[in-house]
Amino acid sequence: MKGDFVLNKAHLSYWLRQLRKESDLIAPLRSVDGDIILSSVTGIHDIALDCPANIPSPKEFIFPQKEEMFKFSDKGAAILNNGRKRVIFGVRSCDMSAVALLDRFYGGLFEDGFYISRRKNTIFISIACNNPDPTCFCIGLGAGPYLKSGFDIQLTDLGDRYLVQIGSKEGQSLIKNFRHLFQRPGKADYDDQYEANLSSQSKFEKRITLENVRQKILSGKVEDSFWESVALRCFECGGCVYECPLCTCFNVIDWKETSDKGVRMRLWDTCMFKGFTKMAGNVLPAEKKIMRTKRWFFHKLIYYPEQFGKFGCVGCGRCTITCPGRIDMATIANKLD
Amino acid sequence: MAGLASAFGSGAMTNSIEEIDNARVLFVIGSNTTEQHPMIGMHMLDAVDKGATLIVADPRQTQIAKFARIHLRQKSGTDVALLNGIMNVVINEGLVDIGFVKRRTEKFDEFEKIVMGYSPEVAEKITGVPANEIKRVARIYATEKRSMLFYSMGITQHVTGVDNVRSCANLVMLTAHIGQPMTGLNPLRGQNNVQGACDMGALPEVYSGYQRVSDAKARRKFENAWGRKLPVGPGLTLTEMFDSALKGKIRAMYIMGENPVISDPGAVHVKEALKKLDFLVVQDIFMSDTAEFADVVLPAVSFAEKDGTFTNTERRVQKLRKAIRPMYGAMPDWKIITGISGKMGYDMGYRATHEIMEEAALLTPAYGGILHHRLDDFGLQWPCPDINHNGTPFLHRKKFTKGLGTFNPIDFVPPAEPVDDEYPFILTTGRIYFRYHTATMCGRTSTLKREEPECFIEINRKDAGKLEIKNHSKVRVLSRRGEIVVNALVTDKTPEGIVFIPFHFREAAVNLITNTAVDPVAKIPEFKVCAVRVVPLMPNPGSRQTVPYDKKNDIKILLDLYEEPEAEHEG
Repeated sequence: MKGDFVLNKAHLSYWLRQLRKESDLIAPLRSVDGDIILSSVTGIHDIALDCPANIPSPKEFIFPQKEEMFKFSDKGAAILNNGRKRVIFGVRSCDMSAVALLDRFYGGLFEDGFYISRRKNTIFISIACNNPDPTCFCIGLGAGPYLKSGFDIQLTDLGDRYLVQIGSKEGQSLIKNFRHLFQRPGKADYDDQYEANLSSQSKFEKRITLENVRQKILSGKVEDSFWESVALRCFECGGCVYECPLCTCFNVIDWKETSDKGVRMRLWDTCMFKGFTKMAGNVLPAEKKIMRTKRWFFHKLIYYPEQFGKFGCVGCGRCTITCPGRIDMATIANKLD
Repeated sequence: MAGLASAFGSGAMTNSIEEIDNARVLFVIGSNTTEQHPMIGMHMLDAVDKGATLIVADPRQTQIAKFARIHLRQKSGTDVALLNGIMNVVINEGLVDIGFVKRRTEKFDEFEKIVMGYSPEVAEKITGVPANEIKRVARIYATEKRSMLFYSMGITQHVTGVDNVRSCANLVMLTAHIGQPMTGLNPLRGQNNVQGACDMGALPEVYSGYQRVSDAKARRKFENAWGRKLPVGPGLTLTEMFDSALKGKIRAMYIMGENPVISDPGAVHVKEALKKLDFLVVQDIFMSDTAEFADVVLPAVSFAEKDGTFTNTERRVQKLRKAIRPMYGAMPDWKIITGISGKMGYDMGYRATHEIMEEAALLTPAYGGILHHRLDDFGLQWPCPDINHNGTPFLHRKKFTKGLGTFNPIDFVPPAEPVDDEYPFILTTGRIYFRYHTATMCGRTSTLKREEPECFIEINRKDAGKLEIKNHSKVRVLSRRGEIVVNALVTDKTPEGIVFIPFHFREAAVNLITNTAVDPVAKIPEFKVCAVRVVPLMPNPGSRQTVPYDKKNDIKILLDLYEEPEAEHEG
């Protein structure tokens, strides 16, 4: 911990306004129709921190749904890069844990230049979650509601003030020039944080740890007939993948704008679609639906822990809300547990 | 719509989507629900999880059929016989709700006489569905109070489409599964706003709210509101329009957001009709096959670039809000129409979409209380007669829209084009999940295109075996109207004797070969049944043909081979 501070709530908007001078400030904003999404803040007081857990995740800021990679023409090619600095304020611990995992995925064996350049320019101010939704289960996965590490700055709402925990040097840089706004915490602050933590934990309706499920699968106790019944219910809508803050599948296409120039883009894709990674000769690697359904679960429950030591799920509950066939992670985990 | 109107007096889903979760019996006929109405499919699966009995009637084994307790696989085009068979059992086993029939319906006796001729054994002969399954379905559906009946294009796209719907209405009235929550006769409308379009009078014989053009009082009301004399009789239906154009009686057409060259049967017929016109205007968001024939193309905006409302299948009017500014100079449809109207000398005077809604509310009793500012949450379900009313979840509670419900005696009429030795397969067309209609939008979306890049024909394993058709090989599909070439998908999803081709692909437009016969009342084409022959494109896929290897010309040689297999054979 690079240091703990306390920020009086009255000073929050001032601090954010100062940060906005150097970077784009992004936070949950309520649009005119009542929907809350992460977007660029123009009016600081429009920030809606009372949002549900399932607003679209910050994934799209570091791994956009449609990303232009480079332009090409008969004169050559030019790589497109987005060097804008950003501060994303108000993400929850689950999404923050997801970002930490995305960092390991895209920055691991093969460094994804596009992801890394966006990520380097983005600093997160996450808020420890005091109000889990009925669909949340981050608590069983160590992805929330409060994080011990893996964040830039973590705020804890203590009523009239925030406990501010610095977790990285990027986080440190946001405090550096505004030291006068922050005080050092005292015992009362830590006591309040402890209570807030406990109260948040008690609000969870779902207690799911995926470990039992993983063990069951590894020991061969889950038959294919189970996965058949799961696959039967899959609507192939791709919602689980698009909504998941951790899912990283993408496709690359070239789009010709005119006969002599175009752009190469990468787009979100989903391994739940039959045509994902289609090969020459119309070969579909995972033509049968059961293969794709199984793979989504195995990826998150088996391969992720093997590779990264953590589950590929942060318990955000988005797939539970989205899936029309009711075969989301929480429901299946319950069935297998 | 016409079928429902003649039975109840109004045509729309009688109940609401949220009631599905708590229904106990769901009878789905002619709907591939999870693929075409996924949200409703989701509710149906939820109901099944809660213990509801799902009965699906469809010759194909669709995804929803896999969840059904009973899957009836009737022969294409035999729905009336199936329903009459079910109703026969209901009457004979004393499962009729006599009180309801006496109190709220009329013309029961005539109808009963006809149904008596359809014993389960007779129905089995016609439909191919075992008699005791018919009995089972009748008993389950009739004895459970909370039974909902759903149907879609599977039964309406026939020459007996209207009769099929009337038969469903008969069944629903017989068992009193109407006018209560968790019951009803529920057509699943296709496009997100087809209900809205019908509500606003985009039909030849009605104004908005189904007020008939032939009703003098209604006509006078609209003439007063619009300050113009209006025609006394109904206009032409879609299929009649093209017939008229071919005869030279219609000289000009204005087509908005529709691609009849691909979506209408007998596409050759349609193209000739369009070529014969003196003047054709097409208004659409992208250049379409129909727009290729136009003299003037008016670019309209997509859903994301305009405000307005959509009315969905459960009669819910919801607000549509603009998300991005209109691009490239395209305009919202209402602005184009009012602009043209202005230039023709009639100023419609609307300055925004909510003003149009206000006028609609004034002139349409069912929409009386539907105004944009009241639609902010989840919209309102019509009928909503005034601004204090909160919408109507289910219809016909105390009486039907026209008072008493009418039983229609319906006899089974076979499809217009029966199979024979020359054309031994029934071709049924339909929709698939990843394509929407004529692919004007999704054909331009790379991921969707990738999922279903080519047209295909589903053919039963046994049939394919007899014809030596291998999976993923190309076949020719011929009918009396023409032929197309598609990929074969060998599967047991379709039963023997039936093949299925989706209609979305312009490269293999199945409507080149479908039948132009229509339902005499609704004029809806019989997309679901026509007779075809299926032949492999390369007659001997197993035999190898040796080709002299010539670096420059090898590709040309292979292409030539592919194009004229017959010639190669004789040589």
